[in-house]
Amino acid sequence: MATDRKAEVTWHSDLMSGNGRIDSVTSGAFGGLDVSWAARSEEPDGLTSPEELIAAAHASCFSMALSGGLAKEGYAPKELRTSATVTFQPGEGITKIAIEVAGQVPGMDEAAFKEAAEQAKENCPVSKALAGVPKISLTARLEG
Amino acid sequence: MPRVERDAEVTWEGNVARGSGSISGGTGAFEDLPYSLATRIEKQDGKTSPEELLAAAHAACYAMSLAGELAGSGFAPDHLDVRAVVTLDQVEDGSHRIVASDILARARVTGMDDAALQDVADAANRGCTFSALIEASAKVTINAQLEGGS
Repeated sequence: MATDRKAEVTWHSDLMSGNGRIDSVTSGAFGGLDVSWAARSEEPDGLTSPEELIAAAHASCFSMALSGGLAKEGYAPKELRTSATVTFQPGEGITKIAIEVAGQVPGMDEAAFKEAAEQAKENCPVSKALAGVPKISLTARLEG
Repeated sequence: MPRVERDAEVTWEGNVARGSGSISGGTGAFEDLPYSLATRIEKQDGKTSPEELLAAAHAACYAMSLAGELAGSGFAPDHLDVRAVVTLDQVEDGSHRIVASDILARARVTGMDDAALQDVADAANRGCTFSALIEASAKVTINAQLEGGS
């Protein structure tokens, strides 16, 4: 079954001096988020950007895929903490995404966790969609 | 131009079927957005998802690119409405894939005709590098329309 998610954005005036707003999304979970080229390409000053949203999409997709992969191997994670950092080169695009994950997974050893994290990085739907990014790195460690 | 980094953090607790996570952006523009497998692929129940975040990213990226291309061709827009719909679907091997991102852009641009808008809309798609990236798995469509008295 296909799932659709929609987002609506308005923009006023030209790129350099104008500004936009992510007005609404299907779920209503967020809305009214301002964006501008200056905030995207220089100091964010509290404003989100396409790259931050992509970081959020990738980190959330990866975390879910990893919890699924761990379950297949018989492990139930207590907690996974994931960050994704997207590097954007204006004029060129996204050049790198760095994923870091720290997991609390009872009974699992570090090597098996790293392997499961690698699988999640390869196979989560957002990773597949971002396969054209020149470099996607992964750092995975167990804690606690 | 110097490179820019943006980060986001997610905390996930529990297994995939019954667990849930929480999503925050590094800028603080959004914080502690909850999500789960059920709300991602079944009833959304007011929760965001990776695909919804990508829809927001794509709409914002395309809107900026279109504003830039319009200004570059001498027609700074009065107003743009850009909508992105991202579709997640199950594919033949049973896994989920992001299969489409459909953009609808409505532009209020003084003095521009439709043929010129279509050219600029295509250029904007090429200029939004995220469009090209997600074509690794998703078909991107652009529907651009003029609105109001042009």
